Amino acid sequence: MKDQVAVVGVGCTKFGDRHDRTYEELICDAAFEAYADAGIDPADIQAAYLGTYLPGPGGGKAAVSLADALRLYGRPITRVENYCATGTDAFRNGCLAIAAGVYDVVLVLGAEKLKDRGGRGIPRLGHPLLARGNTAPGLFALAANRYMHTYGLGRETLAKVAVKNHRNGAKNERAHLRSEITAEQVLAAPIIAWPFGLLDCCPTTDGAAAAILCRRDLASRFRGAPILVKGVGLAVESGRPYFDPTFDYLGFRSTQKAAQQAYAMAGIRPADVDFAEVHDCFTWTEISNIEDLGFCAKGEGGRLVEEGRTALEGDLPINPSGGLKSFGHPIGASGVRMIFEVVTQLRGTAGPRQVKSPRLGLAHNVGGPGAVACVAVLGNA
Amino acid sequence: MLGITRIAPYFPRHRLDRALMAAAWGTRAAGTRTVAGPDEDALTLAVDAVLACLGETDPAGFDALYFASTSAPYLEKQVASVVATACDLPRPTAVADFGGSVRAGTTALRAALDAVQAGSARAALVVAADTRHTEPGSELEPLLGDGAAAAAVGREGVIAEVVATATVAEEFTYLWRTDAQRALRVSDLRFGASYGYARDVAEAVTAALRRAEVPPTKLARLLLAAPDARAAAEAAARIGCDPKAQLVGPLVAEAGVLGAPDPLVLLARALETAAPGDFLAVAAHSEGADALVFRATDALTAARPRPLGTALAGGLALPSYAAFLRARGMLPAEVAGETVTAMIEWKELRQDVRLYGSRCEVCGLVQYPQARVCIGCRAQDRTVEQKLGKRGTVFTFTIDHLASALVSPLAMVVVDLDGGGRLYLQATDVAPGEVRVGARMALTFRRLHEGGENRNYFWKARPMETS
Repeated sequence: MKDQVAVVGVGCTKFGDRHDRTYEELICDAAFEAYADAGIDPADIQAAYLGTYLPGPGGGKAAVSLADALRLYGRPITRVENYCATGTDAFRNGCLAIAAGVYDVVLVLGAEKLKDRGGRGIPRLGHPLLARGNTAPGLFALAANRYMHTYGLGRETLAKVAVKNHRNGAKNERAHLRSEITAEQVLAAPIIAWPFGLLDCCPTTDGAAAAILCRRDLASRFRGAPILVKGVGLAVESGRPYFDPTFDYLGFRSTQKAAQQAYAMAGIRPADVDFAEVHDCFTWTEISNIEDLGFCAKGEGGRLVEEGRTALEGDLPINPSGGLKSFGHPIGASGVRMIFEVVTQLRGTAGPRQVKSPRLGLAHNVGGPGAVACVAVLGNA
Repeated sequence: MLGITRIAPYFPRHRLDRALMAAAWGTRAAGTRTVAGPDEDALTLAVDAVLACLGETDPAGFDALYFASTSAPYLEKQVASVVATACDLPRPTAVADFGGSVRAGTTALRAALDAVQAGSARAALVVAADTRHTEPGSELEPLLGDGAAAAAVGREGVIAEVVATATVAEEFTYLWRTDAQRALRVSDLRFGASYGYARDVAEAVTAALRRAEVPPTKLARLLLAAPDARAAAEAAARIGCDPKAQLVGPLVAEAGVLGAPDPLVLLARALETAAPGDFLAVAAHSEGADALVFRATDALTAARPRPLGTALAGGLALPSYAAFLRARGMLPAEVAGETVTAMIEWKELRQDVRLYGSRCEVCGLVQYPQARVCIGCRAQDRTVEQKLGKRGTVFTFTIDHLASALVSPLAMVVVDLDGGGRLYLQATDVAPGEVRVGARMALTFRRLHEGGENRNYFWKARPMETS
């Protein structure tokens, strides 16, 4: 599939508490921007993939949520849901459809409205007895505590991830949280699920993002500078890792496997990647992710952060957008939002948060925690 | 020989200094009471007491289980069956719920002894548990406590042989709670103690001692479940016992008047130190009285019950009277919960309540929940059911302030069980800093949530006693 699919248009709403926008309006904002970016007539879209995690009031249930918002009728639309990897997996499906030769032009759109639901956090679904009391921060905290116990990592290192990503996000007009923060603030914030304080956690966010994909040989018909898809990978592991006696809780096999697939397809090594948007739902997750993605050995992620190598001006910028931590995390939208960022960086139009002359960028989501991960590698040549 | 073969008290971990209670009402009160946590009730305390009583004993050796309580969490639904299932007793177990008054504990014990004597049961478990509510500010409030005790009754390995029993029944208005009341009512503590309690208890104990041909002065211990210490002392004097030398009354100072469990708790306490040959009389009252006389056997010295001091040790002090009201469910609290449908419960009963996982016949890995494909070696349909252990070690954890649960903040733990299998559970009865990687935990059957307008119970992990 390498180099067969081009991204020719992207769009992304302002992320945040978007009580001013309905679910369908967010979809329109993201899609219209992507249409304009590509210079495409929506009539030319042959198929679409909607990434949405939660069915919710105002949309998100099925393909019709996209069809009705955009009046995109009479063609195949598929809703993709794969936990926090929903958006990247929708993108992956769009790529596969084009690479299979079935469609020439595909719309991938991720959208999520978490802030109109009331209540705290994300509603928990599942067995009425088993694993009750789990929350998203609580589940990732299980891994963080075991990891920190094993490698002797402290909350001070986690805090540096939050500080870095807020610093990047402050430069990004579309980010949810645009305030720079200090390590002291992170460490003093109220505890949500030990070891995570409030500022170790990404916010719950409304937002939508879109990408127009086409066959590489048709890319010149569109306005945007084409960015090529080098490789994609998806791996599903146990959704109940906490019951798996063989799980070491030091990282996520799903990320490792998905990355290996994407690297093999792209014919690259992890060291070839110039920057990455990774799934920093919690500060610790970013540290584990950069290990699982092969950027450093297991247990060394904290050192990369400490040494500033993952900062915007470091040798491996991680989350130049601000990441989930600052940009926000509307679950189904996040993966497509990462594609938006990777494309923008590879085009060299990221403004104050621009990574220095990148050639290869990576987008990564992990959900579950560790149940599913999706990786996409894109390049500008 | 017929009698008690094992006995164990169980107390909830929370404690309230009665000075905090008294300060809230501008009164005076001394001592400490035990307090059931927000996820505990008479059913969960009964499961904990039976598990403590069983120890390493195979539950399959019992064919009867009697539950006694005045504060059962259900008005209609049998609790003894739930306790028997959670403790993994076999299906052909004779069960019964005894209730209606604090005499339920002795009545259940007499029924178990009768059943074994008659041969309708080989070995029986009797468990009494209470978490009685009192009106805030009432004169009963500073007297009561929460707790449980379980005893095994049989013919093998008897540590306390039953020598004689006696009973009395006659209407007497003293303590009551109608089907429309949540809190216990009392007519008049002093009048009831003298004209009802002491009269009836003395009559029953005297009759039992006469049958046993044991003069009251020869009793090693007179164990009286009583509404308060004064009532017990008055009854002891009427029986002809020395209240100072022979009487063991309710544990008001360290736990409170428990209710139905009191006779079993007092028996357990007496058997900690009794010498073989000692006679012990135990009695409980309400609208009459039950009395039983036991003789400690030679087997007792090798099978002493778990000391009461151990069962009461390591309490967690509640910070305030308000915390007590919250723990006892007197203040509104809402916890998200989903309906555990009858179908799910039926399908998963062995997994969720009896706590059986799977063991792979190919690679030996024990896993939970039950699975057809091994998570270790991927062998298909080569797993067999495996009963999980109830102790383990924390592999990792978190303290979650976001979770909706009866206890907040909520400690969640991943526990590697002794004998294999890994569980992810809520922790309960946790002191700050107690949950950490490597901490030892024991499983306990607790209330999880009230989804579907029902009490939904599941296993949790509590810190294992360090003593």
